[in-house]
Amino acid sequence: MANEVNLNLDPRTFMNIIPERRAAIEAAPDTPLPTDFPLNRLMRAFHPEHQHLVIEAVETHDGDAKSYTLVPDRENGTDSLAYFSAGQYVSVLLEIGGSKLYKPYSIRSSPADAQRRRYILTVKRSEGGFASPYILDTWKKGRRVTITGPEGNFTYEPLRDAKHIVGLAGGSGITPFYSLARAITDGTEDCDLTLLYGSRMADGILLKDEFDAVCAECGSVKVIHILSDESRSGFEHGFITAELIKKYAPAGDFSLFVCGPQAMYDFVDREINKLELPPRRVRHELFGQIGNPERYPGYPPDHVGKTFTLTVHIRAEQRQFSCSASESLLVALERAGIAALSRCRSGECGFCHSRLISGEVYIPPDKDKRREADEKYGYIHPCMSFPVSDVALELSMK
Amino acid sequence: MVGGIATEFVSVKERGENMAISYDVVVVGAGNAGLTAAAVTAKTGLKTLLLERHNIPGGSASSFRRGRFEFEPSLHEMAGYGSAENPGDVRNIFAELGVGVELLPVKDAFRAVITGPDGYDLVMPTGIGNFVRMLEQEVPGSAESVTNFFKLAGDVGMALGYLGKGKPDPQILQTEHLNFMKVASQPVSVVLNALNMPKKAQHILLTYWAYMGTPISEFAFALYSIMVHRYVDMKAYIPKMRSHEISLGLEKCIRDNGGEVWFNTEVVEFLIRDGRCYGVRTKDGLEIHARQVISNVIPHRVFGNMVDKAAIPVQELKRANARSVKFSAFCVYLGLSKSPEELGIKDYSVFISSTPDSDEQRRRMRTLDKNDFTIMNCLNIDNPGCSPDGTSILWATQLYETEAWEGVTPENYKATKNRLAKKAIEQYETAVGVKISDCIEEISIATPATFARYLDTPDGAIYAYHASGWDAMLPRIMTMRDEQWVQGLLFCGGHGTRTIGYSSTYINGYQTGQMAVLDLKGGH
Repeated sequence: MANEVNLNLDPRTFMNIIPERRAAIEAAPDTPLPTDFPLNRLMRAFHPEHQHLVIEAVETHDGDAKSYTLVPDRENGTDSLAYFSAGQYVSVLLEIGGSKLYKPYSIRSSPADAQRRRYILTVKRSEGGFASPYILDTWKKGRRVTITGPEGNFTYEPLRDAKHIVGLAGGSGITPFYSLARAITDGTEDCDLTLLYGSRMADGILLKDEFDAVCAECGSVKVIHILSDESRSGFEHGFITAELIKKYAPAGDFSLFVCGPQAMYDFVDREINKLELPPRRVRHELFGQIGNPERYPGYPPDHVGKTFTLTVHIRAEQRQFSCSASESLLVALERAGIAALSRCRSGECGFCHSRLISGEVYIPPDKDKRREADEKYGYIHPCMSFPVSDVALELSMK
Repeated sequence: MVGGIATEFVSVKERGENMAISYDVVVVGAGNAGLTAAAVTAKTGLKTLLLERHNIPGGSASSFRRGRFEFEPSLHEMAGYGSAENPGDVRNIFAELGVGVELLPVKDAFRAVITGPDGYDLVMPTGIGNFVRMLEQEVPGSAESVTNFFKLAGDVGMALGYLGKGKPDPQILQTEHLNFMKVASQPVSVVLNALNMPKKAQHILLTYWAYMGTPISEFAFALYSIMVHRYVDMKAYIPKMRSHEISLGLEKCIRDNGGEVWFNTEVVEFLIRDGRCYGVRTKDGLEIHARQVISNVIPHRVFGNMVDKAAIPVQELKRANARSVKFSAFCVYLGLSKSPEELGIKDYSVFISSTPDSDEQRRRMRTLDKNDFTIMNCLNIDNPGCSPDGTSILWATQLYETEAWEGVTPENYKATKNRLAKKAIEQYETAVGVKISDCIEEISIATPATFARYLDTPDGAIYAYHASGWDAMLPRIMTMRDEQWVQGLLFCGGHGTRTIGYSSTYINGYQTGQMAVLDLKGGH
């Protein structure tokens, strides 16, 4: 078989390649190699591992909420703030009692503000919450905080979304829309926003004055307030229904962006279904941490209220503690003082990806956002996994 | 209960320097080659630890989810896997290591759509006979030269088998492998001209070049020919659950054989003393000693950022400075709300350009706006269950030299990537007459900066060092041992002997693992 093809080529080229290689290496300089590269720097402008910030100002709002203006903490090595797209969040590193956790908050300020070296986070007290009362009660001007880089996909994408966004917001779900509204007024994003914003009473609407100012400044942003607990002229009354969406949505193509608490999703998703929009025209922000998994379909009966043993393998070490059936494994880890890595706390981002060594967990079916092969190889997202037996978990730490 | 857990809050430094732990083999980086090397050493009973800075294995061999879609980030087609009846190297390696993954064959070789004046649009089949016949139909008179191309590729394969057995006898090379000697280190274009292959047939045969990032006037014949031979003869394969499945499968082999894998563990230093690497140090201050360290991290990073300056051999600096690293990718991942049937898509991979000339294609990759070489894949064609009924996954890839991205700033980054993505989508729509822009349900765009984030390579390089001339596959293989300037430190990956690509890095990882085993168990 070999040598059957006749070729007028010189076989010595093959033998010459080694001397050529030696000569090329010998001729090269022995100067130090570059330690950084332009595109790695570009990447870090969006994705720093951590950002160290100082609270420059605190503003108190009606409705038991505060806004924190955060600026770079140069003494701790942060000189500028990461760029982001309106709708993204950062996770705030918190130590509350013996718990260590990452809690996501949408950036409320505009992307252009980040270039002016400030973020604003607006935090509203959630009843029975863990992180928001701590922040509202302890964060003061001058305090140092550590946050992650921006994450999340609740952003306007011109190649995907309609040019007109209809936003449905409830409670603290308003914050990503304020960032988007600001991005529209300052020219960062080129789209229209009609926002249906549900609150309880006219007094105490979070960021109302701020939105009034945006609407006065820019015709591309409209806000309709819907009050559940009060009838008042100039406001819609009730909840965000299919009829209300139809009333205010534009005649042509539009994308629905939805952000609010779980109770709002439960109601509003039924209304959205009535509109029979294609799936690509409806986008939800992360719904956030959930408890009480028995509310979701397929939860094994008789597990409510039970307690199990969680064994955690970290490198060569092991720890054991108890965990409750009603709480995610991530919360159980955090209660034990383990700073497990997490970002979205909604089962979606995969940051807490960990190996289930043994035991069984329940994952609400519509919230199982793992990769297909994860199931095959026994990987779970602890933030959306609830123990239904004793569980052993291998955790990756940093 | 054991305390002292390493967290972001409690540094391991508090344990003190004398707490160094030790392994037979420490592998740094869980890319394809790092995973395979660690699986090999663990399987032979060596105490093995694989360290990875990310939370999942694989590097580019991964997946990511958006909405109801799970995207493949990088694997277009794996060469050298083969069928159960006619297995290739990679299938054999996976079988030996016990990697239980399911790979699916890609039916056709490719569709090439050249839209310029000398344009053509044809679907090339797999099977050497079919391929030659189709090419003869398109370019009459090409059959003999194309047949000879595949014969030479077979000769190259046999010679590589001989070279793999140890130090070659020059006499045997001259007599048994003369054609190999003639063609191996020649650029592909030189050999094809010597075969009197018509220009158009060359262009069609060379369509695959973009998978490797080296234009045909530089690409050494040896590697290109065996790659094309494998694709056409054995078909390409893709994993059912995206390449994340392969990476988790390899990780499982490491664990099943007693090895350890630590994620979220960044190595910041390779410890070298008296010309020998004896371990690594992690970001949280843990010192890990090893009899053998294997780096899946590119030498530019190791000797640029991760070794004490005084301990770097001059030869390592010279070799790294002699090499160039400058190629990355731009990818647009699309989840569409229509099925391939509704859209009229029949092809798994379409290569689109306005010119068939690979040198010209390559020149245009130095600019953002002139580059119009786009590969569009529809995963559903050969992996029908990859997305829900009534949907499809499309994915566009363009290669760029990093200099093309010099003018991109954080301020214009998002607008730039959207502009390029729009252009790639429109180019596909025009070239194949399929409308996709009105049914985009999910979109994600990866730029060289994205690859820099996940791979931490210089400028997001996906193809390590430019593999041509003196730094092509064969010269790397033949100098592998001579150029080991730090004892106890082996490199594996795209910067390794087999150069880049999925099958190359699995094979290179396997061979590097075996070298480590030989060094540790072979009586040294």
